[in-house]
Amino acid sequence: MNDCGCDKAKRDLEEYLRNEVCRTEASDIRDHLEHCESCRSEAVLAVTLTEAVQRACQETAPADLKAHVLERLRAVKTDHETSSVPSL
Amino acid sequence: MSSAVLERPSTPWVDAGRNVLPTGRSRSLELDWATMKPIDDAPASDSSEDNAAPDVPDASDDATTEVLDDVVETVEEALDFDEVVPTDADPRPLFEEQALPFIDQLYGAAMRMTKNPSDAQDLVQETFVKAYAAFGQFQQGTNLKAWLYRILTNTYINQYRKKQREPYQGTIDDLEDWQLGGAESTTASSSRSAEAEAIDRMPDSAVKDALQAIPEDFRLAVYFADVEGFAYQEIADIMKTPIGTVMSRLHRGRRMLRELLADYARERGIDSTRVRSTR
Repeated sequence: MNDCGCDKAKRDLEEYLRNEVCRTEASDIRDHLEHCESCRSEAVLAVTLTEAVQRACQETAPADLKAHVLERLRAVKTDHETSSVPSL
Repeated sequence: MSSAVLERPSTPWVDAGRNVLPTGRSRSLELDWATMKPIDDAPASDSSEDNAAPDVPDASDDATTEVLDDVVETVEEALDFDEVVPTDADPRPLFEEQALPFIDQLYGAAMRMTKNPSDAQDLVQETFVKAYAAFGQFQQGTNLKAWLYRILTNTYINQYRKKQREPYQGTIDDLEDWQLGGAESTTASSSRSAEAEAIDRMPDSAVKDALQAIPEDFRLAVYFADVEGFAYQEIADIMKTPIGTVMSRLHRGRRMLRELLADYARERGIDSTRVRSTR
């Protein structure tokens, strides 16, 4: 257990990067990152991974999907006018 | 991360929606009174409406309370039941205006869930139909995107996951860390920056393949957090799990992802990474 703040910073790094830690803890981790290269490289890696996943997962729905959805909504609407029971 | 800011609309439909509950309640109340009379056989029941309260026996008070409880239950059941709250105004234009812009994002999530475009499209359609039917319950001003994702995830779990031949993964949360393996953070910072560089240059298809290869609950946690930028609490609501489980799934999922990407880089001779793998 080499505790120069690394253990705590590494443990809570993900939460820190996602703004899920309280303000005091965030400032502790921020201070630590400034001085610790090892933890800083871990943080860069974590952010890089997030960005890679974001980039890879960009999807555009097929052009006709929106039209199909609108069609379905219209059909549901018509059902409601004829019978009061919604078809789920 | 672009999150659409939803303006609180000042359409007549919203106001109409607010009036629905009281109307429904009083109508049910009259109905129940009518059916109560013969059972109760209390002649005083009529006078109770003429401010003759002192004459009403205690039993009638109890009955009233019971009836009210029943009515309240009925209303609550109706709300839980995902039924459309009938309104005179048409909620569709508002729904279309607010919910349809999320179609690309929902489709992206549906792709990560079903793994193929045809099922993903069906899932998105189902989601919109259900969301539309339940739109009367959506509280304007709260997070519509999270609400839609909750419906998407529910629909997926109830209708699609059962059909898939994936092995049951429900107990994966119970596995110990050593059983899952993973890239350890014991590497030097120089090799970590090399790993980051390799991940940065990774083709999208490789990242997607790696994402598909990790257990579903982990994959969804990573997707909701990294791609959609949901807060832990929102993910917990969407996946119906405690926040601790969300964090554990997210951390483990990302660690597995790292390992898979390191494997990929090594196989393709992207030699800048030296992350030790436990495999």
